[in-house]
Amino acid sequence: MKHFGFIAAVWMSIGLMSCSNQENNPVEEKSFADHFSGTVQNTRVNTAMAYIPGGEYKPFYGSDTSLVKVEPFLLDERPVTNGEYLDFVKSNPAWQKSNVKRIFADTAYLHNWSSDTTLPEGANADAPICNISWFAAKAYAESIGKRLPTLDEWEFVAMADATSPNARSKSEYSDRIIDLYLQKNRQFNPVKHSPPNYWGVYNMFDLIWEWTDDFNSILTTGDSRSGQYEDKSLFCAGGATSATDILNYAAFMRFALRTSLKADFTVANLGFRCARDTVVHLNK
Amino acid sequence: MNRFYFFLAAMFLLTSCEDKQKHPEPLPSDSIFNLSSQWKNQYGDSLYLKDLQGKTLVVVMIYTSCKTACPILVSKMKSIESKIAKKDKRDVSLVLVSIDPETDTPARLHEFAKTNQMSDPQWVFLTSNESSTQEFANVLSMKYKKISPIDFSHSNIISVFSPDGQLVSQEEGAIDVDKVVLTLHETVQKSK
Amino acid sequence: MRVKYLVLCASLSIALAITGCKTNTEQGKSSVSPVDMVASGEPEVAELTGAPKVPAPVGNRQPKKLIVNLVTTETEGIIADSIPYTFWTFNHTVPGSFIRIRVGDEVTLNLKNEASSVLPHNIDLHAVTGPGGGAAATSSVPGKETSFSFKAINPGLYVYHCAAPPVPMHIGNGMYGLILVEPEGGLPKVDREYYIMQGDFYTKASNIKKGLLEFDNDKAVAEKPDYVLFNGKKGSLLGANMIEAKVGETVRLFVGNGGPNLTSSFHVIGEIFDNVYLEGGSTISHNIQTTVVPAGGAVIVEFKCEVPGEYVLVDHALSRAFNKGAIGKLKVTGEANPKVFNAKTLSKH
Repeated sequence: MKHFGFIAAVWMSIGLMSCSNQENNPVEEKSFADHFSGTVQNTRVNTAMAYIPGGEYKPFYGSDTSLVKVEPFLLDERPVTNGEYLDFVKSNPAWQKSNVKRIFADTAYLHNWSSDTTLPEGANADAPICNISWFAAKAYAESIGKRLPTLDEWEFVAMADATSPNARSKSEYSDRIIDLYLQKNRQFNPVKHSPPNYWGVYNMFDLIWEWTDDFNSILTTGDSRSGQYEDKSLFCAGGATSATDILNYAAFMRFALRTSLKADFTVANLGFRCARDTVVHLNK
Repeated sequence: MNRFYFFLAAMFLLTSCEDKQKHPEPLPSDSIFNLSSQWKNQYGDSLYLKDLQGKTLVVVMIYTSCKTACPILVSKMKSIESKIAKKDKRDVSLVLVSIDPETDTPARLHEFAKTNQMSDPQWVFLTSNESSTQEFANVLSMKYKKISPIDFSHSNIISVFSPDGQLVSQEEGAIDVDKVVLTLHETVQKSK
Repeated sequence: MRVKYLVLCASLSIALAITGCKTNTEQGKSSVSPVDMVASGEPEVAELTGAPKVPAPVGNRQPKKLIVNLVTTETEGIIADSIPYTFWTFNHTVPGSFIRIRVGDEVTLNLKNEASSVLPHNIDLHAVTGPGGGAAATSSVPGKETSFSFKAINPGLYVYHCAAPPVPMHIGNGMYGLILVEPEGGLPKVDREYYIMQGDFYTKASNIKKGLLEFDNDKAVAEKPDYVLFNGKKGSLLGANMIEAKVGETVRLFVGNGGPNLTSSFHVIGEIFDNVYLEGGSTISHNIQTTVVPAGGAVIVEFKCEVPGEYVLVDHALSRAFNKGAIGKLKVTGEANPKVFNAKTLSKH
């Protein structure tokens, strides 16, 4: 517990959270979840969040070697669970597997659930939810006044091991993660079954892959060998995308996964956790 | 959704005939018209994607300050437009969606359309907010990233949608205009 | 104007004639360039085989439309002496299935990543002309299938492999195989054909499961393998698994090297290769003792079996054969042939 910078228990009023935080929008901001469900309800909004103070970090894959600034934010201390997602679909029937619009989730969406509101047989309610699309994850997050973490936010937290905020230079850091990644069927374990990292965040590597808000912002293909796009006409202001840390095989794997995803994909070992800004913007 | 259905049912009871005519058939589950994001066109009118329903759509995402790939995409869109058979023209909308909503205001899009001789009614320019833009890009499986205040990296995709909003085809990278035109023609014919 | 036109016509026809001749001599048969060959008929599912077997030769058939179905897996298998290792595979085997097509074939390749996989996988076929050899087009997350099509325009023996990052790890775990593109009319007929693929393996004990070995990145970077193996397993071509031929028969070996790092010096002890399709291409060299198979490359060797006995297949960088497993055997049965080889033992009587 002493490592926690700050733990925020979130009992935020939905009223506060649904306010727009964009000022220059030509169109009024509308909550994503509102698109589907009218008033979105979720009874379990009390997942503890870890305060991440942010800072500068060197992205594993970036436009160049320059540092990226990560603003302070709050991150769920663990992934969203089966039980929580069950509550969500009970309150939001549009996201039940027989109702979900195909454009928002492929046919494997919650395919293993016994019914619209019954978890898979033998499933642990405290294991992370998988087989959900990016659209679904985003709708869930918005239903409780949160959002998905950005890729940079997620990777910033992923630099930590148990004792330091940035363990990338330790040789055992990547090896340990790869050991975890190579285990099959990890996603059936309950959340928080292993110790937290420096920030008090659990299960960054040992259960599932996780959606990030801007997973589609990686312009390399799954083929990392090309390193960079020489042909600038292919991409506006296209640029170098070579890896800055070639030995970080674990990061390579995450990027390979993200570049292979589409937003409607649902995958057996892909889930998510939520994040939130530290500052809540009110309507002017 | 509950509330929406309730609303629909209420409307049905109140004005059943009129409502039926407006929405003769439910949308296909994979239609882009299921997105309920709000947009503005180059004239500043607010609209939903489903307001584009009924015409075959050619869709591309660009930003107007782009100096490299977008001008090529725009010229490809114009080339597609010029090759549409005369009898098909009124059944097609060519839609350019901005990935830079902050800069691309309706006024700017209007100016851009004028400069590029894209003022005819078949040209639709759309802008929204960041979240709706990202959602739409994800529907198109389009990758993009803001890499500086004025520049974006993005994939180059031209998509064709049926009048019901179902994806018919996508061309990515070195886009073959004639292929798009052919798909477009077939889609228009099928929907007639 | 007229003169210009005539000159143009003349030069065009000369150009055409030259191209025609060139194609004729190269292909030996058709004057149609592979790009323009028509693959007719309904698509058929291609026959695929696991090593050391190969599918039936293409023979004289016309170009076809073919469907190649591959599945990527992450599964435990035996690497040596009943020691388990987590292999990543195409179609459950190391090497992956042998694909056999001809020039002009149009192939639709479907790549399905098993739902139980942890990682995304893809395929880069060296026989493909196009970006990444198909890698970007086939990047598949667990449970998903991707697809692309290509036309085979260059004959030869080619490696395919997974190119998902980190590529050396995917290859190091066994994600490679061979695709043979036969020329028009097929390769000359032989009596026996076998599929052999070498790979280097870098292992360490798994922290997760006792006794299980898994990929060791440090050893891979240092290029210090624990195992150098034919067909993904120590002894895969020994004992009951020896490949076989009879005296008088001609044997053709399709030998590939997945790597990820080592170049193989492929040699059959007691045989001389009558023909070697150098690097798997169209140049045939004769009377070769040891041939190089680069990582990510392949070679076709042919020889006639004249004398019965057991012939040892090795990577002639011999520590790999003696200490790391790069060894197999060909068993040739039949009548002794003292004219060629006579093992006289001196008698003390």
